[in-house]
Amino acid sequence: MAAVVGSRRMRRLEAVLIYMVLTGLTLAFLFPLVWVLGLSLKTRLQVFATPPLYLWWPTFENYVDVLTRADFGRAFLNTMIVSTSAVILSLCVGAPAAYAFARFPFTGRSFLFFALLVMRMLPPIAVLVPMYVLFSKLGLATTRFSVVLAYTTFSLPLVVWIMRGYFEDLPVELEEAAWIDGASRIGTFLYIILPLSRPGLVACSILCLQLAWNDFLFAAVLTNNASQTLPVLMAAFNAGDSGMDWGGLTASGMLVILPVVVFSFLAQRHLVAGLSSGAVKG
Amino acid sequence: MVWYGSSSRPAARSVSEVNRPAIVRADRQSPGWRSRHIQLDRYFVQATVLPALLVMVCVFGLPLTFSLYLSFTGWAPDQALFTGRFVGLANYQDLLTDPAFTGALGKTFGYTAAAVAAQMGLGLAIALLLNVDLPGMRFFRTALIVPMMITPIVGALCWKLLLDPSHGVFNLWIGQQIVWLGRSDTALAAIWVVAVWQSTTYVTLILLAGLRSLPSEPFEAAMIDGASRRQAFWHVTLPLLRPYLLVAMLLRTIFEFRAFDNIYAMTGGGPANATMVLSMYTYLMSFVQFDFSLGAAASWLMLLMAMLMCLFFIAVIRRREAL
Repeated sequence: MAAVVGSRRMRRLEAVLIYMVLTGLTLAFLFPLVWVLGLSLKTRLQVFATPPLYLWWPTFENYVDVLTRADFGRAFLNTMIVSTSAVILSLCVGAPAAYAFARFPFTGRSFLFFALLVMRMLPPIAVLVPMYVLFSKLGLATTRFSVVLAYTTFSLPLVVWIMRGYFEDLPVELEEAAWIDGASRIGTFLYIILPLSRPGLVACSILCLQLAWNDFLFAAVLTNNASQTLPVLMAAFNAGDSGMDWGGLTASGMLVILPVVVFSFLAQRHLVAGLSSGAVKG
Repeated sequence: MVWYGSSSRPAARSVSEVNRPAIVRADRQSPGWRSRHIQLDRYFVQATVLPALLVMVCVFGLPLTFSLYLSFTGWAPDQALFTGRFVGLANYQDLLTDPAFTGALGKTFGYTAAAVAAQMGLGLAIALLLNVDLPGMRFFRTALIVPMMITPIVGALCWKLLLDPSHGVFNLWIGQQIVWLGRSDTALAAIWVVAVWQSTTYVTLILLAGLRSLPSEPFEAAMIDGASRRQAFWHVTLPLLRPYLLVAMLLRTIFEFRAFDNIYAMTGGGPANATMVLSMYTYLMSFVQFDFSLGAAASWLMLLMAMLMCLFFIAVIRRREAL
């Protein structure tokens, strides 16, 4: 839409209008977060001040409280362990499969691919109900391993989708050259294809990590107090209206989203490809 | 073309065929070489696909088969795994005659339609604004996608604080004490607002990628033919953007259909089932009432509906060749 007709003054007026609308939208979209960030930097008295306080000397006491809680550190560690394990498992299993999907015809290829799509699209609660029953009978429920397995239901399809697209875009000539030089299929994959697709691997790890970090439902059902993740701990701050801990809730909320926001900015370029699971190439 | 498998781009395939060194062609003529490589390829495919297949069966195939079985039995959590009594379709019958379930069904569809419609409309508008070639657009794009990226449960809890009856900032501004999340006429609307806030830029990002990829010739042709910008939008931009609009719409539909985190954090399905959607119903049935048979039946009904959407999604996108 490069062609813009109209006089110069009209165009300038239009630009001003667009900036105004976008600024308004940005303020509206960021307001809830900014306000809660403000709440997290207030004392208990300041939080409940009427009318609301707009200018105050920020205090970090809520953050100190949250960070010195034993369960916050443990939940942070659990979240790290569970989400990185899920990503590593999905990458190890998914990337080779994606390569086979991209380069080799085999029986059941399109059926498997359809199954992966369904796996990504189905409501998580539908897998969670039988998974919980099976895991608890097997003695796996409330372990971090069960959460890792549960997370592969969304991270494995994502890895296969994104990496298949990535492998397909690599020129076949590279592999042909390696094969002529006597490299095996596995050697070619490990030493030629994988190093070349590092950006794709990084992108889909970041996306999977973000999804795993943000997950609430699986972790809420499959963990107990010892193995709970950050989002589950967050929801516990919210228990009971009278007992809602505003300081703890706001400070821990900001701490939970900090890594995701930083991460997402790093991966911004890849967001579109990940969102649409490869249906649209961004 | 077993030699290197199928590539999705026929053009690239023919080019590589032309450029392939003569020595490979000579090799391919010898039957022994060829069959040996086909065999090696088969082993390679097995070695790469089987681990993924195993994981899929474990976390997806087996649980779903088990829950299908569970949905046809009456099973209590203290029983051993396969000792449930076979009850036929009784669980499904119970569900479809339960007003809470049928209510949840209606609310899920209504909520999904309303949320997707708002996200599509606002998302398209923002995408069109961001697509104008002006300095600073990167900043706006980055700022606007923040709600989409943050942990959903944290976003929902932020909104719960903002909507708090006595200390929430919205009530302080209007000087009233409206219990937004505790009234059956405002609770679902509040959840809808949060969904629009969270996922509108999801649509924007997909549509922006689409707008960027549109060819400029149709617009130039339309301008030369004297089309107004409004006409160009309706008759050139929208039709060209159609595959992207479809992808965004269907993805949002599938994701709003399974909405859970926001509702759990803000209302828990209440007040008086006003925000009881299918995910919430299935969750409460399974993990609060511990009726896993009914939970399994409800989750299979959800699964079938999601699968239908998925099939529709694939059919539409295949036809549009956006995949």
